[in-house]
Amino acid sequence: MQRQITTLLITFAVVMPLLARPGFANTPKTMATKISSTLLPNRSPLVTFRIIFMTGAASDPSGKEGVAALTAAMIAQGGTRTISYEQIVEAMYPMATSFDSQIDKEMTVFTGTTHVDNLDKYYDLISQMLLDPGFRADDFTRLKTDAINFLKVLLRQSNDEELGKEYLYNVIYQRHPYGHHNIGTIGSIEKLTLDDVRAFYKANYTQANTVMGLAGGYPKELPAKVETDFAKLPAGRQARVKVDRPKLASGMHISIIKRETRATALSLGFPINVTRADKDWPALAVVASWFGQHRSSNSYLYQQLREARGLNYGDYAYIEYFPRGMFQFTPDPNQGRRSQIFQIWIRPVVPENGHFVLRAALYEYDKLVRDGMSKEAFEATREFLTKYNNILTQTQDSQLGYALDSRYYNIPDYVTYMREQLAKLTLHDVNRAIRKYLKSDAMRIAIITRDAESLRDAIINNKPSPITYNSPKPKGITEEDKVIENYKLNVKPEAVVIVPVEKVFE
Amino acid sequence: MKILILMSLILCLPLLALAQPKSPQSRKLFPYDYTIDDLPNGLRLVTVPTDYPNLVALYIVVQAGSRNEVEAGKTGFAHFFEHIMFRGSENYTAERREAIFKRAGAETNAYTSDDRTVYHATFSKDDLDPIMKMEADRFMRLKYALPEFQTESLAVKGEYDKNSANPIRQLFERLRETAFNKHTYSHTTMGFIKDIEAMPTQYDYSLEFFRRFYRPEYTTVVIVGDVTRPQAVDLTRKYFGEWKRGNYVADIPAEPAQTGPRISHIDWPSPTLPIVAVAFRGPAYSDVTKDKMALDLLASVAFGQNSDLYQKLVLKEQKVETLGASFDDQMDPELFAVFARIKDPKDSDYVRDQILETYKRYTTELISQAKLDATRSRLRYGFAMTMNSSNAIASALAPFISLRRSPETIDKLAVVMDAITPQDIRDMAKKYFRDESRTIVTLASKAKESAKNDAKEGEK
Repeated sequence: MQRQITTLLITFAVVMPLLARPGFANTPKTMATKISSTLLPNRSPLVTFRIIFMTGAASDPSGKEGVAALTAAMIAQGGTRTISYEQIVEAMYPMATSFDSQIDKEMTVFTGTTHVDNLDKYYDLISQMLLDPGFRADDFTRLKTDAINFLKVLLRQSNDEELGKEYLYNVIYQRHPYGHHNIGTIGSIEKLTLDDVRAFYKANYTQANTVMGLAGGYPKELPAKVETDFAKLPAGRQARVKVDRPKLASGMHISIIKRETRATALSLGFPINVTRADKDWPALAVVASWFGQHRSSNSYLYQQLREARGLNYGDYAYIEYFPRGMFQFTPDPNQGRRSQIFQIWIRPVVPENGHFVLRAALYEYDKLVRDGMSKEAFEATREFLTKYNNILTQTQDSQLGYALDSRYYNIPDYVTYMREQLAKLTLHDVNRAIRKYLKSDAMRIAIITRDAESLRDAIINNKPSPITYNSPKPKGITEEDKVIENYKLNVKPEAVVIVPVEKVFE
Repeated sequence: MKILILMSLILCLPLLALAQPKSPQSRKLFPYDYTIDDLPNGLRLVTVPTDYPNLVALYIVVQAGSRNEVEAGKTGFAHFFEHIMFRGSENYTAERREAIFKRAGAETNAYTSDDRTVYHATFSKDDLDPIMKMEADRFMRLKYALPEFQTESLAVKGEYDKNSANPIRQLFERLRETAFNKHTYSHTTMGFIKDIEAMPTQYDYSLEFFRRFYRPEYTTVVIVGDVTRPQAVDLTRKYFGEWKRGNYVADIPAEPAQTGPRISHIDWPSPTLPIVAVAFRGPAYSDVTKDKMALDLLASVAFGQNSDLYQKLVLKEQKVETLGASFDDQMDPELFAVFARIKDPKDSDYVRDQILETYKRYTTELISQAKLDATRSRLRYGFAMTMNSSNAIASALAPFISLRRSPETIDKLAVVMDAITPQDIRDMAKKYFRDESRTIVTLASKAKESAKNDAKEGEK
């Protein structure tokens, strides 16, 4: 690639605001203190904070969807009781740093890194932000507007790929604590008041819910100081929202979001009963990596749909929530969940190929479930993943994030754990895991496209969807295409619905 | 809140060292211990051991970029060549390369810019030997046939096409073309479309390009991470030792002084927000003279997100969607440019004038010492914060290696930075922000009715 004016291009790109992320932790408390901690001291000149509160969007009270996210935003992007937000920005300028929040269903993490030279000043600021937030009216107005705009404008109108993924989650988790976008719903955010935020903070930002993550060359007195300072929070109790496995009506269900857009975006998935805490997770991680390693030409789906057929920019598969995947090569840590889905992400295709590529994705999925992985694929992927895990944890910040997630999932150090588990894994284990967990009769699909009616019509009538290319293709591909073009989707007409985009996230 | 890091800062400052005992005088901008070893054939090795376990970052920096494209009709070749480097070598097909990288769990890519081409990979330390062997093979024994060459030229054209949808790229291309007439910075790294279209017929020239520039005297191997010096030296000698030194030196024409302001406009065929670029001829990279560093500091103060101009145009008046300065560290004198994307076409002239006024302001007004110190602090710590992994350290080091072939330049630069006074900044503003050195390029939608819609449509 050519790299020129990169920073200029980044500056001029439309950037999505950070989605808040939630999380959970079932860790034993340290003896004398109420907050938990994960500490990774080293000789780095940088000090990284990852402070988790075991609360998130799954804790939004009914009718107040979005309050967890808004509370986190008020803390990280608002003033304290004594200092305004503008003053905070001004103070952080010479330190070249920031303090950010990320919210997910079960945990909310506040993150920031500073050079050790500036540690005292930085910690002073962020501890006030966390422990003595201002909950100021002007910040509230600004952040509430930002949240609504994020859903209404950015997600609904500027990013079909993220929209498809998030809508898929909403569909799968309907009537479930995970059922609304982390930021909330437009209707409920509009009704939120500052008192709601204060109440949420009081109830959820407790010592019992706090996990302090610290990494870097910090002075050895720092952890004790943080513990002392956080004793200011109410003690609280570890209370977890009840999270069951989502119950889905059987059969394939397709939601076609109708939107004025150039290309057709697709996301497919269904719940799986496996998280990183389970012994079968490493096996499924191998499958997901082989089938659709994120943004990698190693992905099997990528090779079939992009490399061989030139259909789109990429095709990937996941077994953990990975928002903002288009902007990143690796997922952000601290989005631990008790329920996950298997997901296929098909990047936008030209609308004429929408039906074909939907069929192709399902054809490949069916083939995966039916035939499993080959020995060669298993061994190459196992070797890749064993080493690639080092890349996932190559920064101090990500090391800390993964350490906190290991705590949450009650597994050892991620890289070591995976190396050991992958070494023990066999092809049989992997294919058994595919049959046990990836065989679903409740596939859910979200498609974003302009001509929703004709796509729906084509799907429910199983119309042939022939494909043409601008260059000759090998015989293997053309033979396969003949199968895909007429691949029958077992879906009832009433299970294919059209949703106007204005209704989404309302 | 986002960390604002000046592009020049990222380019100037290498990553902060990983393992550095905390001592009061360890204020080095590049606080990592490193070693330099030179082979008899001119190849240089820079080794930086870090505490980040299990991984190594291998960055091979070639001091050849679009700046070296001195012959007419050959723009874009350095970048094209970067693509060709993935097409196979004597002992490794492209597929075998991919398979080896996959098994190493590697993250790998390459990029080209004006002054350099960088081939990089981060992978498990256990794979350093096989990957060094493979990389040496392509640098020494690259091998590709005509059909693959021609197919790859289509991919390059595809890259140009995909980029051409972005108005910023077109604007940048025009800016370079207008501000420079003789120097090779007059074309972008991508190259002119007519030269890209002619690429399929340039097979012989591609071999010549390889012969000229892919030589040990222009190449530095940088290894950062879980590695020792003896290990790095041993592997470099073993696999790159046989590489033959070349003898070609490109004759880059100097750009004569600009004697009058220049202006250009691009009519954009579809609806888009107008963009304006106001640029002045600036200095090249230096770790000795104050010019470049003083202007780097000024760029942040005058046009950064904390600047008066940004507060006014972006936050208060909300007339501008994005505003930023661009001022890379380059081998030869480069442009100091400010770009703004404007929400309403009727504000285009106003925004342009506000930018011009800001440039002029700092030719007479002194920045306060407090502001200068805060900005210096920000640059210093901003740089430190980028170096958060072995890969990040190597990535930050690469531009400096291409400029001066040693990490030492970073700390020399820091000395220059620390010595700059508000007067220096004003002097440099006066020296460089002169009307006769100025180029303005604007871009706007062609149709009148689409201009009305511009205000409603945003950049997607």
